Amino acid sequence: MTFPHKKSHGFTLALILLLTACSTQQAQLHQQQFLLFGTLVDISIWGTDKQQAQQAIAQISTDLENMHNEWHAWHDSPLTRLNKMLASGQSATVPPSMVPLVQKSMALSDASDGLFNPAMGKLVKLWGFQQDDLPESTPPDDAEINATTALQPKMQNLTLTHNQLQSHNTNVQLDFGAIAKGYAVDLAIDKLRALGIHNAIVNAGGNLRVIGKHGDRPWRIGIRHPRAPGILASIEAHDDESILTSGDYERFFEYKGKRYHHILDPRTGYPANGFTSVTVIYHDAATADAASTALFVAGPQRWREIAKKMGIQYIMIMDDKGQVTMTPAMAERIHFESNPTPHMTISTLP
Amino acid sequence: MTRADIVVVILAVALLPFLYITYWGSSQQGNELRVMVNGKETMVLSLHENKHITVPGPLGASVIDIHDGKARFVSSPCRGKQCVHTGWLGQGGEFAACLPNRVSIAVIAQEQRYDSIVF
Amino acid sequence: MSLALLTTREDHRIAWLAALAITLHIVESTLPSPIPGVKPGLANIITILTLIQFGWSTAAWVNLLRVLVGSVLVGSFLSPTFILSLAGAISSIMVLRVASWLPLSGRKQGTGTIGSGGSGFGPIGYSVLAAMAHMAGQFYTAYLLFIPHDALFHLLPVLMTAAVIFGIISGFIAHLILGRSLNQPRQSPVR
Repeated sequence: MTFPHKKSHGFTLALILLLTACSTQQAQLHQQQFLLFGTLVDISIWGTDKQQAQQAIAQISTDLENMHNEWHAWHDSPLTRLNKMLASGQSATVPPSMVPLVQKSMALSDASDGLFNPAMGKLVKLWGFQQDDLPESTPPDDAEINATTALQPKMQNLTLTHNQLQSHNTNVQLDFGAIAKGYAVDLAIDKLRALGIHNAIVNAGGNLRVIGKHGDRPWRIGIRHPRAPGILASIEAHDDESILTSGDYERFFEYKGKRYHHILDPRTGYPANGFTSVTVIYHDAATADAASTALFVAGPQRWREIAKKMGIQYIMIMDDKGQVTMTPAMAERIHFESNPTPHMTISTLP
Repeated sequence: MTRADIVVVILAVALLPFLYITYWGSSQQGNELRVMVNGKETMVLSLHENKHITVPGPLGASVIDIHDGKARFVSSPCRGKQCVHTGWLGQGGEFAACLPNRVSIAVIAQEQRYDSIVF
Repeated sequence: MSLALLTTREDHRIAWLAALAITLHIVESTLPSPIPGVKPGLANIITILTLIQFGWSTAAWVNLLRVLVGSVLVGSFLSPTFILSLAGAISSIMVLRVASWLPLSGRKQGTGTIGSGGSGFGPIGYSVLAAMAHMAGQFYTAYLLFIPHDALFHLLPVLMTAAVIFGIISGFIAHLILGRSLNQPRQSPVR
């Protein structure tokens, strides 16, 4: 537009309008990060005035803090008290806020054929993943692992009648580590909606759910590369969608050159083999959270079957050789950002 | 060309890199680094001034390096060192955190490439 | 174009030059553009030639008429498009006024009506200044009136690069044309 006297002004104007759109979007975006829930929580809100956004974020941070305190698996909390009751074989009263979480966990554990297993708190503790920092760099004894696994704690051992929880296996110790953040994100999104906010992202430690859009474009979500610094791929999130990854890089320690990560296989008692990360897209974050864990545990042999059972359509898996496998639905939506692009296989669900 | 012409052309051409640096230097790449300790924003630093900073947290000092528009954790007193493994951050929306030491850094850019990041 | 028409009254001269500038621009707008929105601005050649051959006030008239008549032809008269165009034309004409006053290079001082002796500038200098001023004027008007947001400035480097490049090119074309017409002083400067 050096000398755009007449015709080229149409375009100039279009460009200008585009920029105007851009700039108002920036003005309407409110983003805040804080350390909560034992992780980094990142909230973006688009299209509300600053005061409303700040109030909403403050509300959510209080809510998340409360949930964190209630569901904490190793600090003194309503959950640890509940676990003590379960261990003693008594019927226990579940705090009202925890009832839906227990119900959801039972249903998802069933759907995942027990691969998502929040009943194996003892095993998680044995491995040392129930502490604020990472465990010391030694895996537990094989004998201890085998003994703990043989206790076979399952969600099916529990019966929930109203708010009364009874365990038929005193070795059940609840640890909601593989669902709590996703569920908390769902509750935060519900709260935002109740507050009249319809365009937002709530991201609790990589467990993310999106509602609405960023102005007139969809929210753009980056997926961190499990092995290299930077971003592996990006996805444009649809309205009311959760995107989550379970990876062996989130919490792990290394011992004699081998990586021991926090995603434990309830069948063996050891960290699950075969995959580096599993990313899923699903409507609610609690299901996505549990499903990404279950698929990770299912491994190369069984992930398709479990995905089918849990109703998950969008899956991207990176295996321990750095190769990417995904469902056709996921392949249509994902955009690789890393260079070089990983080798990619499309795999249809049964 | 007259002498004045040459002067004008040289000045005009010399102006261009200046414009690119001024207006593009910070558009695609992030331009600021937000440092948070214990969930509170403690400082916002320019990513274009190379710096080595030490941020005290509950466990000790986390060291952050800012170099050529990028930033990274150099060391942190946690066992996992995930913050250090995250590597360099340069694009708007990227972040790294040392959770045990409650120190986190995030790149702030005018137009973010990613609205949020799954990890 | 006939020589007789150009050598009649000042009004006729302005009208013809403006018509020529408009024609050039229409021709240019049919060509594909490498970067959308960036045009070489060949009509600048006419402004520069007019400035050098007939003086600043004739050039100012030609430039303003081109904007006015052009917008009427396209139907954008008094629209934001027209305002931006006018702002560009006014700022380039103002810069040319200042430039034609400046005795920068010790060449002969004159009224700026004949040859390139008005100041130290030749066609290339004038053209680059005009192109950049046009762009800058248009840009700041857009910024002040329509989009008071800093994001707009991300466009500025590209736009100014285009302005400088096309300024040099059209200045060079003007230089070539002048080189011919100076040998035949009473010829049309744009033949």
